[in-house]
Amino acid sequence: MAAMFSQNPLMNGPNYSVNDAPRIGAPEGAREHRFDPYTDNGGSTLAIAGADFAIMAGDTRLTSGYSINSRFHPKLFKIGGTTADQKDATIVLSVVGFAADGEALKERLDAICKMYRYRHGKPMSVKACAQRLSTILYGKRFFPYYAYAILAGLDEEGKGAVYSYDPVGSYEREQCRAGGAAASLIMPFLDNQVNFKNQYIPNSGEGHALVERERRPLTRREVEILVKDAFDGAVERHIEVGDGLQMMIITKSGIEEVLLPLKKD
Amino acid sequence: MPGFDFSNYNRNAALHARGMPLPKATSTGTTIVGCLYDGGVVIAADTRATSGPIVADKNCEKLHYISSNIWCAGAGTAADTEFTTALVSSQLELHSLSTGRKPRVVTCMTLLKQHLFRHQGYIGAYLVVAGVDPTGTHLFTVHAHGSTDKLPYVTMGSGSLAAMSVFETQWKPQLTRDEAVKLCADAIEAGIWNDLGSGSNVDVAVITAEKTTLLRNYLRPNERSQKLGRYVFPKGTTAVLNEKIIRKEDLSKFVTVHDLPTETGDDKMEIDA
Amino acid sequence: MEFGNSGFLNEDGIHLDMDRLKKGEVNLGTSIMAVTFKDGVILGADSRTTTGAYIANRVTDKLTQVHDTIWCCRSGSAADTQAVADIVKYQLELFHMMNGKPPTTQTAAAIFQEICYANKDMLSAGLIIAGWDERHGGQVYSIPLGGSLHKQPYAIGGSGSTYIYGYCDANWREGMEEEDAVNFVKGALREAIKWDGSSGGVIRMVVLTAKGADRHLYLPDTDYKVRHA
Repeated sequence: MAAMFSQNPLMNGPNYSVNDAPRIGAPEGAREHRFDPYTDNGGSTLAIAGADFAIMAGDTRLTSGYSINSRFHPKLFKIGGTTADQKDATIVLSVVGFAADGEALKERLDAICKMYRYRHGKPMSVKACAQRLSTILYGKRFFPYYAYAILAGLDEEGKGAVYSYDPVGSYEREQCRAGGAAASLIMPFLDNQVNFKNQYIPNSGEGHALVERERRPLTRREVEILVKDAFDGAVERHIEVGDGLQMMIITKSGIEEVLLPLKKD
Repeated sequence: MPGFDFSNYNRNAALHARGMPLPKATSTGTTIVGCLYDGGVVIAADTRATSGPIVADKNCEKLHYISSNIWCAGAGTAADTEFTTALVSSQLELHSLSTGRKPRVVTCMTLLKQHLFRHQGYIGAYLVVAGVDPTGTHLFTVHAHGSTDKLPYVTMGSGSLAAMSVFETQWKPQLTRDEAVKLCADAIEAGIWNDLGSGSNVDVAVITAEKTTLLRNYLRPNERSQKLGRYVFPKGTTAVLNEKIIRKEDLSKFVTVHDLPTETGDDKMEIDA
Repeated sequence: MEFGNSGFLNEDGIHLDMDRLKKGEVNLGTSIMAVTFKDGVILGADSRTTTGAYIANRVTDKLTQVHDTIWCCRSGSAADTQAVADIVKYQLELFHMMNGKPPTTQTAAAIFQEICYANKDMLSAGLIIAGWDERHGGQVYSIPLGGSLHKQPYAIGGSGSTYIYGYCDANWREGMEEEDAVNFVKGALREAIKWDGSSGGVIRMVVLTAKGADRHLYLPDTDYKVRHA
């Protein structure tokens, strides 16, 4: 007899897993048994592009079901440096979803960027790197990397650049993007606070004729505050987000890394 | 006996067969514990309620009143624990009135197990029952299918393994009141930190022959950090597309109006000044 | 409680997934036995209760009194066997009051069987009923899953019993002395606990004779050698 607390998640997993689709049209009493290579390891990421910088952030919790596998497992990776500590890297990749696929994806992209650097004697541009990442993801179209990737760096003009991806390689350059478990909680906040969506200038008109609040580039300090507040908010309402906040700030003088504590419950 | 309304059963069965998933109930994916000590019994719970991976309530109450000398900690489906304990509380009160005796913990436990067994596990209530009555101090667990256990220390819910690890390493016979409260609070904390289904605060109830002491939010190890930014919008920021004014005096034409006391303290909504 | 989407509903709305029906039940994946001896009967059981891989109770009492000298060993679903035992306990008390004399073991076993057979599609209960009465002395009845009733000189049950058929067959003797019977039960249960992962904890016994019921407890701490309580 099957026996485990339905509330005990260690074996059942929570009821929001990626495999939780109703089995329609299955023959009577039939049950499909097969190896499932994917796990959702939770966590959330976020990237914002500024005028002359880009910020990438992610929490450091790694989960499966209701368990915490690690309280410090980075989701942010420097890409394409020439040394083991990546101190001369110029691009940051973040991955959420299935941690093992994320790790594999990072390794591949890093290797490709390194090869490019040795062959051409210069680091890859974010634009080129972004296109290459898309190709890598689409290359596994029928056995995808279960990872939501975001790439951040500075473009050829020195402006902040953020590229976001779906697991099979569709991508887009954006001003800001939240990914992972709490993306749906963070993204509306970013729309409102970064792109000033749903904000109008008071008394500038009637009804639909109102003038939208004008967008302006945010300062680095402003963005760091938004990131911290976004994650504090996500931690309050999403069980898979917490423990630590890792931030990488990409400027023309290099990549700066910041670690902040988050709630651990 | 109250019954359930099955009038939507066939419609829901048809929808389910066409691939619509069942609605998600708020579950108190929980840590609850109980521990006997010399002179009474302690029960404790965390205060997180979840709906899937989302925190539905950060400070809910999982310690339920049964009678002045019997309290219950509930895990599983929130609605089931609430209604089941309320039902049994009412039955026990009437029973106590007609017999002229104080309610007993075994009576409570028996009513619960028979009710849950009758519904074959479909009422997802997992309970820790504790109390003091003229026959002594008692502590039970009741599972959704209707089985019961009687033990000196118990844990239930998704954080039960984390909590039990504390009991199995720290428990000893002949605890004092303060030791028992500390042990239970530590067990709940183990759940709060290590189980994603549990979180926020620790509620404790101490039951003795004399009285029951409810220590709501006995520990608050998860205060929200101060927001760094200010999120205040000038009046008129939100577009008004059309406007219709209903005066307070006229409100009762549309809906039933109750005047409520203003919210105070912790239950107030978070608003930036 | 999780509302999973496993399994599906038939056109008439009947759920077809049997696994899900009993999901999350508390199991007595057990080793139980009862043995007649010269002066009466002995019941024995391990003390492990599991929900999947988790031990929900490591000191369970699976030997349940349903009358003064009529007891039962429970295996299968904890909820089902507790419910059945509670009903029978009530019936036997009523029987005693109505007839002015205690029920025989056979009567108790018959009531157990009635419930187990009539509700066979709803229950997962494997029971061994053992009792001592003035007329027949010690007796053992076994009621396996389908609800049939078997009178036996000794009976073993639960998941752990599969490991001790050989042991019991080789070591059981008709009309043993009490001490020998206790050692036989203990030896058998020790083997069952050793080999069966779903059995474990302490060994509990109840000795039923003309003198009444006597409880034994043996702990693994002392290698099951010393009798406590």
